[in-house]
Amino acid sequence: MDLHDLTAAYALDALDPAEAEAYEAHLSQCEQCREQLAELSESAAGLAFATVAPAPPPRLRVAILDAAAAERSNVVPLRPRRWMPRALAVAAAAAACVAVGFAVSALRPGATHVTAAVLVAPDRTARLQISGLAPPPHGKTYEAWIIPTGGAAPRPAGLFAGRAVTLRGTLPPHATVAVTLEPAGGSTAPTMPILLSATT
Amino acid sequence: MKRNVSRQLAHLSDEALVLMAARSEESALAELYDRYGRAAYGLALRVLRDPALAEDAVQEAFLALWRTAARFVPERSKASTWILTLVHRRAVDTVRREQRRRADSLEGAPEPSVEGVDEDAWLRLQRERVQAALRSLPDAQREALELAYYGGYSQSELAERLGQPLGTIKSRMFSGLAGMRELLGEPGMEVSWTSTT
Repeated sequence: MDLHDLTAAYALDALDPAEAEAYEAHLSQCEQCREQLAELSESAAGLAFATVAPAPPPRLRVAILDAAAAERSNVVPLRPRRWMPRALAVAAAAAACVAVGFAVSALRPGATHVTAAVLVAPDRTARLQISGLAPPPHGKTYEAWIIPTGGAAPRPAGLFAGRAVTLRGTLPPHATVAVTLEPAGGSTAPTMPILLSATT
Repeated sequence: MKRNVSRQLAHLSDEALVLMAARSEESALAELYDRYGRAAYGLALRVLRDPALAEDAVQEAFLALWRTAARFVPERSKASTWILTLVHRRAVDTVRREQRRRADSLEGAPEPSVEGVDEDAWLRLQRERVQAALRSLPDAQREALELAYYGGYSQSELAERLGQPLGTIKSRMFSGLAGMRELLGEPGMEVSWTSTT
């Protein structure tokens, strides 16, 4: 059995259990197949959208969320305990993404997804962690901002190279954390566009 | 997709929501369900042809997401792909166990009418794109994809059913999926919650 040519069938869940097991073992050793599987799985999942069906009954949502709540204590947090995950955000929802997405794309050719997390400690200090953002171009820096609610001016919260930054000062309740690209040394007011933002 | 009155997480990407779910944020799971529950249910119903079994498959898949969200690797796959993969795997497992697989391809069992189905515009756009892409594939490739993905047939069963060598089936499935990728990957057509390049 040539395992390389089972990728499409695996993506379609069209292997027998023994074949699937053999393919999975192969997958752990074959980067090429992992890449191809990622692509073909995306195509396969796209087929889900071709179906026409009535909406699921509302009880299904309730049942899922109830069961999840009951299992909650089993889920192990990933981050160190002293950081309380408060909000997570990311680059740009599609709708808001027209300007943002362009800017992010232009900054990081070849990158895939950008994800970011704002981790808020009990004393309201906070740390921003980002995955997938390319280093800033020469002569530029990323700058984090804390934007309080109520229309107050954005407050500079630290310069960083794209991966993580402990935000300067404390985070007011419901404040927005944003990231922009600024000239080296930073700015006193954000330069548009905002690359990432998260409301905590 | 049913929009709730308050969707405070609506601005977050799917991938960020999975990260939140990994930290036991139930609101993130609820938001993911609101985005993909309907597609998930449509898929499960298409494979299983039984509303109760479809509900079970969707519930199991979302609970699997809840339990294993910490293992999700955003660099490797879109969250929507992962979620629908979880749903599909459970639906196929069930259909094989229950021997409820569809005997016919698309022509044999027409799709339910769109009329009267209250549907999100985004979902409708997605459906039209994917259906158009499927239609433009060669018949043999489309048939292989539909029987495998919606019918739950394994590649060996497909080879037997269609009277073709296994290698031909593998090749049709691969070409079909690769073709779908080409057809759906047109710039400007992608609707995504994350920015991708």
